[in-house]
Amino acid sequence: MASRGGGRGRGRGQLTFNMEAVGIGKGDALPPPTLQPSPLFPPLEFRPVPLPSGEEGEYVLALKQELRGAMRQLPYFIRPAVPKRDWRRLPRELKIRVRKLQKERTTILLPRRPPKTTEDKEETIQKLETLEKKEEEVTSEEDEEKEEEEEKEEEEEEEYDEEEHEEETDYIMSYFDNGEDFGGDSDDNMDEAIY
Amino acid sequence: MTQAEIKLCSLLLQEHFGEIVEKIGVHLIRTGSQPLRVIAHDTGTSLDQVKKALCVLIQHNLVIYQVHKRGVVEYEAQCSRVLRILRYPRYIYTAKTLYNDTGELIVEELLLNGKMTMSAVVKKVADRLTETMEDGKTMDYAEVANTFVRLADTHFVQRCPLVPAAENSDAGPPPPAPTLVINEKDMYLVPKLSLIGKGKRRRSSEEDATGEPKAKRPKHTPDNKEPIPDDGIYWQANLDRFHQHFRDQAIVSAVANRMDQTSSEIVRTMLRVSEITTPSSAPFTQPLSSNEIVRSLPVGYNISKQVLDQYLTLLADDPLEFVGKSGDSGGGMYVINLHKVLGSLATATLESVVQERFGSRCARIFRLVLQKKHLEQKQVEDFAMIPAKEAKDMLYKMLSENFISLQEIPKTPDHAPSRTFYLYTVNILSAARMLLHRCYKSIANLIERRQFETKENKRLLEKSQRVEAIIASMQATGAEEAQLQEIEEMITAPERQQLETLKRNVNKLDASEIQVDETIFLLESYIESTVKR
Repeated sequence: MASRGGGRGRGRGQLTFNMEAVGIGKGDALPPPTLQPSPLFPPLEFRPVPLPSGEEGEYVLALKQELRGAMRQLPYFIRPAVPKRDWRRLPRELKIRVRKLQKERTTILLPRRPPKTTEDKEETIQKLETLEKKEEEVTSEEDEEKEEEEEKEEEEEEEYDEEEHEEETDYIMSYFDNGEDFGGDSDDNMDEAIY
Repeated sequence: MTQAEIKLCSLLLQEHFGEIVEKIGVHLIRTGSQPLRVIAHDTGTSLDQVKKALCVLIQHNLVIYQVHKRGVVEYEAQCSRVLRILRYPRYIYTAKTLYNDTGELIVEELLLNGKMTMSAVVKKVADRLTETMEDGKTMDYAEVANTFVRLADTHFVQRCPLVPAAENSDAGPPPPAPTLVINEKDMYLVPKLSLIGKGKRRRSSEEDATGEPKAKRPKHTPDNKEPIPDDGIYWQANLDRFHQHFRDQAIVSAVANRMDQTSSEIVRTMLRVSEITTPSSAPFTQPLSSNEIVRSLPVGYNISKQVLDQYLTLLADDPLEFVGKSGDSGGGMYVINLHKVLGSLATATLESVVQERFGSRCARIFRLVLQKKHLEQKQVEDFAMIPAKEAKDMLYKMLSENFISLQEIPKTPDHAPSRTFYLYTVNILSAARMLLHRCYKSIANLIERRQFETKENKRLLEKSQRVEAIIASMQATGAEEAQLQEIEEMITAPERQQLETLKRNVNKLDASEIQVDETIFLLESYIESTVKR
C-alpha cells in the first residue's frame, strides 16, 4: 500500500513487461494515437480471388435466381394483409366472408379456463380468432348486439398444411357448435385472455 | 443463436416467405419455444396471420411443435434449418448430376413445398417435364415414379414422421397436436402405387395434336375422383444425405489435388461402398478389405491387386491421414478417417483465408505456427526467416483478427508479465468458429447489398420488364421489325448500360453467396464433427 502513492513515487512510468519483447525499442517513436474509430471500409490490400465460373457455377447461379423468383409466386409467400376498411361506408356485398345470422354473440371463456378439456382449447382458440375478426369489423360500434357473424369451419385435421391450401381469402372459415358467454368484449380482453 | 445468424435468418425468411413469416420466424428463433397466444401478443400481429405464418413454417420443416402438459402446444424454430435455404440450389444441382432432369425436378418440388405426397410430386414433375418436351410427347408417370424410388433407395428423400394410427380410440379427446412418429425402417419405404398416366400440358389445344386415341382421354378424369392411395404419407428431402454427398465430393477432390486421379478413384470407391453402412456422423467408415475394394472399382479401372495395394499403402502413410489401416485380414483393412479429413479441410480453409487476406508471408507464419503448435516470438522470426519487425507486425495483425492466439505460461506463481512465456498458437476449433461467424455476416452483407442494388434501380427494372412484355405480346400477334425496333428504343442506351451493370453486379453478389455457403458447409461439418464426440 505504501508504495502505491498515486503513481508518483519511485518506479513511475515503468511497465510490467519488457518493452523490447513487444517490439518497441528504446527511443523509437510510438505510433500516432488513434483518435477515431477504424474506417467502415478499411482499404483492401489484396484483391479477392475470382469467383468460380464455368458451366456448373452458372447453372447453380441461374437456379438460385429462379428459385428466388419461384418462391415468391408460391402460396407460401404471405403478403401483408389487406388493410382494414370501414365497412359502414362500403356496400355490404364487397365483404368477402359469408355471414350467418345469430342472435347471441360468442364470447371468450375467460374465468372458466382450467377445467376445460384439451379439445375445447382448440375450439376456444378458433372462437377467439373469430372474435378478434369481429372486433376488427366493429370499428366504433357500441352496440352489444350484432346482426352478422362469420362462419368458420372447424378443422379437425391434424395436418396444418391442409388449411393453408384451402384458403382463398385472408380469413379462415370456421364453424361454431354452440355459443358460449364471455364476459366483456373490449380490446383489453385480448391481453387478459389465457394464461 | 448469434446475432449474425439471426440477421441472416431474417433476411432469408423475408426474401423467400414474406414479411409476416419473417417476423414470426425471427421472434421464435430469438425467444425459443413459445405457445401461439404469446407469439401473437409479443409480435403484435393478429392471431390469424400468426397461424398462417406458423403453418407455412411447419410445412417447410422450419418450425416444430410439441405438446406440453395441460395441452399447451409450443412452437420452436430451428435456426440451422433456415440457413439451409441458402443451399437449395446446390442440392438441386446435385440431384441433376445424379438423376438427370427428373431427379432435379423432384428434389426441387420437394424443397419448394416442404412436404408432399409421392403421387402429388410425380404428377407435378410429369406435368413440368411435359411442358418442356417437344409437341406430341408426354412424360409417363411411371418413369418419374422410377426416379423417385431410386431417390428413396439411396436415401436422398425420406418419409416425414407420420400421424400415429389411432389404436385406442376411446382414450379420451384427441390431443391438440399430434405427436408424429417415424420408424427407422420405414423411412425409405416407398408405398406401392400404380401411377398410371402421363403428364398434361397446360395448353389444352395441344392434346388434340398428341395423336392419342380419344378413348384414352376419359381415363384421366376418373383418376381425379379416386381417393389418393398414399394419403398421409409425406416425403421430404433428406438434407443430411446431401451433406454426406458433398462431404464425399470434398474428400475425393482433396485426394485428387494432393495425389493423383487413381488414388481419388480408390477413395471414391471406398466411400461409395460404405455409403449406406456408415452413419453420417461416424468418425471413420467401416473397414474395407482391399479385396473388396478391388472388386468394387468402377469398370474402367483395371489396376492389378499389387498396384492397388501400393496405392493404399501410400494413402495410409500420408501425413494427412485420410486413409488409415485398421487391420491385416483380407489383404489389409482400410478405413477413411472422416473426422480427420474434415479437420484438414477446415485447416486448409483457414490457411487459404489467411493467405488471401494478409498475403503469402503471413500465410507462411500461420502454417509454421500450425505445424509447430506453440512458438515464441523469437522462434517465429527464426523459423520463418522473416525480419523481426515484419514478423511482429504480421503476428499482431493475425492476433487482432483472432486467427492466432496467445498462450501464457508463467514462470513464477505471480504471473508477472516480464517473467511469463507468451507462446503463439493456433486453436483450430475457435478459429473455425470465428471464421464461420464471419461467413454468416458476409452473406448477410451480400444479401443486403443485392437488395439495395435492386431497390435503387427498381424503376428501371420495372420499365424494362414492361417493355419486354410488350415486345413479347407483339411478337406473338405478329408485328413488323420496325415496330419492335421502336419499342426497344424506349430504353435508351445509357439505361441499357445501367441495366447491364446491375445484372452483372447482382450475378456477382449471388455467385459470392454460393461460394461463401460452400465455406460455411465445410466449417459447419468440421465443428459438428468435434461436438458429437
